[in-house]
Amino acid sequence: MLLALLIAAQLPHVAVERRLAADLALRVGDTVVVAATAESAGMRAVVGAVFEPAPDPASVLKREYRLRLHLPDLAALLGAPDRVDRFGITLEPGASADSVARRLNAVAFGFRAFPSRAIAAESSQTFLVVSRFHRAIAVISIVASAVFLLCIMLLKVEERRADAAVMRFVGVRRRTIFGALVLEAALVALTGSVIGTVIAFGAGALTNAYYQRLFQTSLLFSFITPGIVLFSVALSLLLGLGAGALAAARLVRTRPMVLWGRG
Amino acid sequence: MGWGFRNLLRHPLRTALSLAGIAVAAAMLLDMVMLSGGIERSFARLLLSRGYQIRVTPAGTLPFDAEATLPNASRIRDRLRADPGVAAAGAILGANVHARRGDSLLTLFAYGIEPDAQGIYEVESGRDLHRGEADGLLLSGAAALALGARVGDTIRLTGRLDPQLAGSGADRTLVTRGIVRWLYDYRGQRSVGLALGTLQEMTGRAAGDRVSLFMVKARDGVDPAALAAALRRQFPGAAVNSIADLVAAFRVRMLYFRQLSYILGTVSLLVTVLLVATLLTITVNERLGEIVTLRAIGVSRLHVVAQLVAEGAALTILGAAGGVALGLATARYLDAILTSFPGLPAAFSFFVPRADAIALAGAVLICTGTLAGLYPAWRASRLPIAATLRAEAT
Repeated sequence: MLLALLIAAQLPHVAVERRLAADLALRVGDTVVVAATAESAGMRAVVGAVFEPAPDPASVLKREYRLRLHLPDLAALLGAPDRVDRFGITLEPGASADSVARRLNAVAFGFRAFPSRAIAAESSQTFLVVSRFHRAIAVISIVASAVFLLCIMLLKVEERRADAAVMRFVGVRRRTIFGALVLEAALVALTGSVIGTVIAFGAGALTNAYYQRLFQTSLLFSFITPGIVLFSVALSLLLGLGAGALAAARLVRTRPMVLWGRG
Repeated sequence: MGWGFRNLLRHPLRTALSLAGIAVAAAMLLDMVMLSGGIERSFARLLLSRGYQIRVTPAGTLPFDAEATLPNASRIRDRLRADPGVAAAGAILGANVHARRGDSLLTLFAYGIEPDAQGIYEVESGRDLHRGEADGLLLSGAAALALGARVGDTIRLTGRLDPQLAGSGADRTLVTRGIVRWLYDYRGQRSVGLALGTLQEMTGRAAGDRVSLFMVKARDGVDPAALAAALRRQFPGAAVNSIADLVAAFRVRMLYFRQLSYILGTVSLLVTVLLVATLLTITVNERLGEIVTLRAIGVSRLHVVAQLVAEGAALTILGAAGGVALGLATARYLDAILTSFPGLPAAFSFFVPRADAIALAGAVLICTGTLAGLYPAWRASRLPIAATLRAEAT
């Protein structure tokens, strides 16, 4: 027992991602064999920690397992002593990242320095593309919704032909009928928007719950901001009012006898 | 159906708006059907473009997914080629190399290839490398442009840079033999191809005879899946994937787009159902007198139902026809957005127009639109004749 403890104390320590630890039933203190390639013997190491990696949308779909080693241990494992992929540099307060990167690149050979901002911009390209795709889909959805709303409003107002005819027969002014129909359209649009917002929040919660479970991550997949709600409600109200006004204007211009079906 | 079309013409504005709504919904549905199957088909087509159905990579990796390499490439290749089910097998090594352009260094992606068994490029101009041609070089269009090189030009490539010594090692002077299209390159990728052995020497991988992957072509009549399973048993330390395996792995990564396509496709169908059902319900309400008169003179309930369902079908067919053209146009636009993903092969498509996708989207939409008219039609057929006639007369 003591011997085993002594041997374990001399072994390098590794930190294992929570997902990997769960899938391999690993716990802190367990001994594992880590190899760079399937055919190599690898090295024995002790699980020193189980960690939760920072949520990263770039890697969530790859579902790769992560393992952290001390730099010399990894270099030895890979057979590449004193070789690294990159350095992180913290600058003195007030120093410009761009000018330091420029200075380093001027004297560099075999490496290149980038300010963090440039790396962030480069690595966010994928998300910019997804964002553009979402915008395009949103535009198509808005067009479809607008046509749908216009159609429904037209049908809804057309349904009130007989009512409008009676109102005209008893002397109600066109403007009043128009106002009543537009008000009705606004109420329908507002009610629809409220129901739509509730459905969106429900669908968003379901989406997050499903994907968070699927990818075992705390990333948010659906994020409904007040700005999005405001934009959607305002747009549907605007479209509803516009469509209602268009249909109502058409209705009040029609002769009452035609509306009554005798014209 | 003719009766349905005629009825739709009675209210041109209403019909036009409904058709526009159905057309947009149909376009979205078509796009989503293309997206759901297109990703996988496009990927499979890309992988199979040179007829190699199996990839052998380091265990736990997919082709060019990691920097891991397989050792003893010659031995593995000989064993692969000795397999009676294998028609061809070639090794590929991927690595970065550098070339001088003026006073700066250009980083290029290099493929170490075996020209007699390669499945990753097509020659566009010049010629392919000969077997064992150690000083030949193939350039992608983007690499040729960046280097200002043409077929016949000599280019000096550096395999390794040493920041500590501020010097380069393993330089080789190579002669450009051809301009090629690398099948798995992203748009504008600066890639070069050279003999496998040359690249191994330049990048320090000759000692272990290391390569990134093998591409394997099955003999005619041999099932690639069965061959992959047999090779998996022969090479337990490597990942042996058939096209179906790679597509399945890719499907997981593209899960988001597939599920998005299902959700948006379902929403499109719902919009169609709502539009057709609302329109027909209001149509029925407007034509109560006409419908019960038909019933009064002996027209059967079934006939009334059929006429109204036909109207819904006519509306959906016309809308769907407009939706196909709109869907194909929007698919091109959406595809242009998604194919700008960094690192995605230029030959890849997300939206693949296929006759079966168009037929499927059309059939689903027409069935849905037709079924949406069933409830208002059934309601119309159940109207009490005398009471409705009396109510309509007053």
